[in-house]
Amino acid sequence: MNSNMNPKSMISFKNIVKRFGTRTILKGISFDVAEGEILFVLGTSGTGKSVLLKNIVGLLRPDEGEIWIDGQEVSRIPEDDYLPVRKKCGMVFQHPALFDSMTIYDNVAFGVRRHERLDEAAISERVTRCLQLVNLADVEDKMPGQISYGMQKRVSLARTVAVGPKILLFDEPTTGLDPVTTSAVNQLIKDLSRTLKTTSMVVSHDMRCALEIADRIMVLDQGHIIAQGTPEELKQSAHPLVRDFLDEAVNA
Amino acid sequence: MTFPFVSGARLIIDDIGGCMLFIGEAFRTAFKRGIPVHETFVQIWRVTMQSLSTTALAGFFVGALMTVQFSLLVRNFGALGFLGGLSTSATIREVGPLLIAFMLSGKVGAYTSAELGTMRVTEQIDAIRCLGASPFQEIILPRIVGIIISSFFLLLVGLMMSIFGGVLLGILFAHINIDEYLRNVPTIVNAFSIGTGLFKCLVFAILLATICTYKGYSTTGGSKGVGRSVVATAVSTMVGIVVADWVTSVISEAVLNLAAGR
Repeated sequence: MNSNMNPKSMISFKNIVKRFGTRTILKGISFDVAEGEILFVLGTSGTGKSVLLKNIVGLLRPDEGEIWIDGQEVSRIPEDDYLPVRKKCGMVFQHPALFDSMTIYDNVAFGVRRHERLDEAAISERVTRCLQLVNLADVEDKMPGQISYGMQKRVSLARTVAVGPKILLFDEPTTGLDPVTTSAVNQLIKDLSRTLKTTSMVVSHDMRCALEIADRIMVLDQGHIIAQGTPEELKQSAHPLVRDFLDEAVNA
Repeated sequence: MTFPFVSGARLIIDDIGGCMLFIGEAFRTAFKRGIPVHETFVQIWRVTMQSLSTTALAGFFVGALMTVQFSLLVRNFGALGFLGGLSTSATIREVGPLLIAFMLSGKVGAYTSAELGTMRVTEQIDAIRCLGASPFQEIILPRIVGIIISSFFLLLVGLMMSIFGGVLLGILFAHINIDEYLRNVPTIVNAFSIGTGLFKCLVFAILLATICTYKGYSTTGGSKGVGRSVVATAVSTMVGIVVADWVTSVISEAVLNLAAGR
């Protein structure tokens, strides 16, 4: 483990630069996420929020800098060595990304079957428990297309928590949902993080939700972190973009 | 300034290179992690059941077509006795594998490419990776192996149906009896003809499986991207099959000459 790293840090970015061709999306980003913390990353569209998450799970690799996950430097490790790292980092995508050829049961059981040698009764018990965590019941035999979009998002969350990740990453979890479901999903994120004692990172553009459930908020703009702090600290910020987000939250 | 020909050639070379890397990764995964047997059988069953009737129908009419065309020619030379041999040989060695493979590229290739492309753009493939699994092991290898096995089988079924179609049309169209049709088949159709046909079927099946999975897996750009991948699969597979047909013909000819000591 790196001696310079905060021992309680579950995610650590050190001067991360990510380019796509001639465009630099992340311009030397550095931050830490402490164990058990809920960090919200806010920013307007196209500022590199999702790129940030994809760098954590290795779907994208940084061009410069280091990424530390639970004490392991992962930015240069081979794809095969990344598979166990991804087991620690459950990611919930912007779209539910459910396997549409499988039932809800098989979707939730997918990761469990690949990583744990359990009999079908134990898998079934795990699937039911994970679906209960996201307030779903009697959907196991349905196909993803037979349930609503909001339910699909919750199944996606259940599938992610089923493998027991230490870190939960949410990519715009409330995009496309109505206000009632948005509120329910946000509460779910908070409850799950507390119940499962996971470290959570939520990419969003919804300041109101961030103020409600985040331990800390980080605002990205044009590849730089322009502000970060607790919700109370952020409310005092004079940065124009942060003020815009706060005004929007008040109006909402 | 870059000439369109140069940029086009660069794109083709890029595509071939990408396809080689893709198949290399598939081989590496197969040796390192194994091929999921159950999912592979699911794919074999799906592809075979989806395409069996159409392949049989297409095969029947390919044979029928060859018999009709040859009968018009051989009749002029009073050589109707050679109709069966000529039609069967041309069908098995050349036209049968080619036309049936074209049909499979439209059916199996387009379906697989669209399925994988949709999985890519809806982040299902990323979700597999994020759940700590390998997309090559979970979805690519079963499809590659499944499509190779089932396409090879379908091509054989198509060829058998083409022989049947040829015989039937020989009787109905050229008015020759079945004994007369079959008499010269062994004279013209030898083990080499059959071997060439089987070799082509295998090569076409491998090409089809590789191109459609590669194109689907490398899809980018939402639903438009899926559309582009399906079109690219159809075009690349057909061009690839024509080129492979020529290459396999040359190889077969060289093997024949070598065997004959020429």
